[in-house]
Amino acid sequence: MIFEILSIGLIVSACLALFLDEAVYSVGALAGTFLFTSLIYIANGAIYVAIFQFAVGVGTLAILFLSGEMLSDKPTKKTSAKSTVALMSAGVILSLPAFFLSVSGSAGAGSDITFGDALWNLRGIDVILQALVILMVALGIGIVLHQKRSGGK
Amino acid sequence: MDFVILSLVMLSIGIYGLLTKRHLLKVFISVELIATGATLNFVTLSSAMGKGLGEAFLILVFSTDTAVSAVILALLVIVSKKYGTSDISEIVKISEETGESEEEI
Repeated sequence: MIFEILSIGLIVSACLALFLDEAVYSVGALAGTFLFTSLIYIANGAIYVAIFQFAVGVGTLAILFLSGEMLSDKPTKKTSAKSTVALMSAGVILSLPAFFLSVSGSAGAGSDITFGDALWNLRGIDVILQALVILMVALGIGIVLHQKRSGGK
Repeated sequence: MDFVILSLVMLSIGIYGLLTKRHLLKVFISVELIATGATLNFVTLSSAMGKGLGEAFLILVFSTDTAVSAVILALLVIVSKKYGTSDISEIVKISEETGESEEEI
């Protein structure tokens, strides 16, 4: 039952994030999407992924709120309560196929590698390299924005 | 309850928004929904098949997704500041009127 409630919440918040007219409300609904995704991960037993999803979601949403304020045109039309209810109903209907349809597969055929082994023994070099890539991207964005501010090209 | 179908629904919502929405922020939200659907599929499959390796791969996916999101948001803010609007159709119209080529954009 808990999976069904989380799935309905996920699809409804995704629909609201996409179809609400106000940018800030859309970002708020996207926060709901990230929250429901994290809860689904926890319910599936993937605690580490849920924590990462939550942290990444918080960071993304903080930037999105700022840019949503910057990008939104001021005289926007507001979404009526009737269309909001219609959106939520559409989200509930869209989440129904996940309850009744199923894709069969062979589960349980995997190995018993722990998270720590997989992260550091198998993927250690990748983890260090991706940290370097993210650092370079952050530095690049900072340099571009600094050049923009100082007026250079 | 099948999470593959659920992630497929998320993917469909994201692709629909990507094709129909004209606001830059909505396009970005569509990309985020597609990424969420993909990671949801990955997590549920990795939980079913032995979660250690799948979760380790997902850390890579999350960090890459965050870097891509940062680049996209920086580009959105720059384009929006330059053209004064965040509507894709109006941006294309303005750039055609001012005679800018795609390379300059």
